[in-house]
Amino acid sequence: MNVDEALISKLEKLARLQLSEEEKTRITSDLSNILDMVAKMEELDTSKVEPLVYISEEVNVLREDVVQNQLDKATALKNAPEEDIDYFKVPKVIDL
Amino acid sequence: MSVYEKYETVVGLEVHVQLSTKSKAFCADDTRFGARPNTHISAISLAYPGTLPRLNKKQVESAVKLGLAIGSKINQESRFDRKNYFYADLPKGYQITQDASPICIGGQLTINANDAERTIRIHHIHMEEDAGKSIHDMSPKSSFIDLNRAGVPLLEIVTEPDFRSPEEVDVFMNTIRQLVRYLEISDGNMEEGSMRCDCNVSVRLKGAETYGERCEIKNMNSMRFARRAISYEVKRQIDLIEAGGKVQQQTLNFDPVTGITTPLRDKEDAHDYRYFPEPDLPPVHLSDSFINNLKTQMPPLPQELFKQFTSKFSLSDYDATLLTEEKETALFYLDLVKNTPHHKAAANLLINKIKPYLNEQKSSVATFPLSVKSLADFIQLIEDGKVSNTIAYQRIFPALIETPTQTPLAIAEKLNLIQNADEDFLQQLVQEVIKKYPDKVTTYQKGKKGLIGFFMGEVMRLSKGKADPKATNALLRKVLEKQ
Repeated sequence: MNVDEALISKLEKLARLQLSEEEKTRITSDLSNILDMVAKMEELDTSKVEPLVYISEEVNVLREDVVQNQLDKATALKNAPEEDIDYFKVPKVIDL
Repeated sequence: MSVYEKYETVVGLEVHVQLSTKSKAFCADDTRFGARPNTHISAISLAYPGTLPRLNKKQVESAVKLGLAIGSKINQESRFDRKNYFYADLPKGYQITQDASPICIGGQLTINANDAERTIRIHHIHMEEDAGKSIHDMSPKSSFIDLNRAGVPLLEIVTEPDFRSPEEVDVFMNTIRQLVRYLEISDGNMEEGSMRCDCNVSVRLKGAETYGERCEIKNMNSMRFARRAISYEVKRQIDLIEAGGKVQQQTLNFDPVTGITTPLRDKEDAHDYRYFPEPDLPPVHLSDSFINNLKTQMPPLPQELFKQFTSKFSLSDYDATLLTEEKETALFYLDLVKNTPHHKAAANLLINKIKPYLNEQKSSVATFPLSVKSLADFIQLIEDGKVSNTIAYQRIFPALIETPTQTPLAIAEKLNLIQNADEDFLQQLVQEVIKKYPDKVTTYQKGKKGLIGFFMGEVMRLSKGKADPKATNALLRKVLEKQ
């Protein structure tokens, strides 16, 4: 797969990252290698193989509807880079 | 013909219903509304590394119940997916939802809008979780995040584009609200955000086969606003097309203050959610016995009850609508008519007396002190002509509430309210009234028969409501005709 500038810019946007020119060059080459490897694997005929989603064979791991194990607010806010008495504070964002 | 009449409105909905479970979808945090910010949270809702979600059984049951109620096919092998996007009130960086294999597929709901029956097809229902809440107006530089709501269980009902007017959308939302309340899976409270919808709006020339380009209005949590938003958006799209423009696919925000919709993002900026299977949650396999067990727990549904009330009990559409609004009232009515053959009188009593009483007391039928047996006796007392309707409602009902152990008859006797059909008793009253109003008697005899109502009223007043109306009416006519 061709890794071009447009793809890198799209990925930057999706990952909320800003890459330097040097990083962009490096990641372009890394990504090309990775995608080439995936392309190589795609040469195998997997049309008769179900995709493997779950490593375990468990189904229906359900819990009863009971309240427990909550954190208190002070503990919860302790690791926040910025906080108010009640809230996590983040740089202003308006979007829906 | 106005240009607007050339076009047809087409709307499809994505309705989010917040479930009334005690704990969240994938962890055991409390879900109660209105708690102090960031007090109903845990390592899971904060998305700490190394935590694993575990699905709430009640969410699965709620989804299946709703699916059964609208005739969906229950998908016995459903699973979860991750919907990836960055936002501050979504700590994991993805929302757990069902994209590829939702729990309920298809179904339909019949609504009654503008005196016409319309069938709205349901595309599917899926399970997902809510995000936290961002508050933008507390500081100029920061947004404030409350994660109490993060992970609260939701069902999303996705309809086909079957709505043709804002009124139909309104009626549908109310029908869903009533349904989820009957099923006791959500309180359906729009003010508290328990029900919200996104409206996909497009227009097309009447008779056109294909749909127009659509715009999505996000997050409507008031039906009044949703109606205005849809009406505005339809007009905007028609004006645009008539001016030679083309509708662009967009996500819109509706501002209730200005009454207009504004773009949040264009198609080019549309989110790329990169859905993929959620590996942390094992798939949900539903056995026949699990589903059948839920089937046996299904309450009677409002539309079935409405049909039963109008056909079997011959109630008017209006009465049946009032009685089926809330499940408790409908079930109470069913209980009551098991004890009395007077179906209409029972409906009247419930609608005109018991419901207003309960509203006044801010109480519910669950704690109503009178038994259906006692209410049936109460109705019988009126039907037998022992007391008038007015006396029964105004005097006996309150006394019965005071002393629920007494029979309505005992109360009527004790308060001396039993109607009297004794001829001598009535004769005396009739004569007194006739003597008092000789002019009216003459007028009556000259042909103004409508005055009988006046004489009846006078006799009733004199008897303090105790004169038997039927016997009084007959006697009055006899005496007046003779003179």
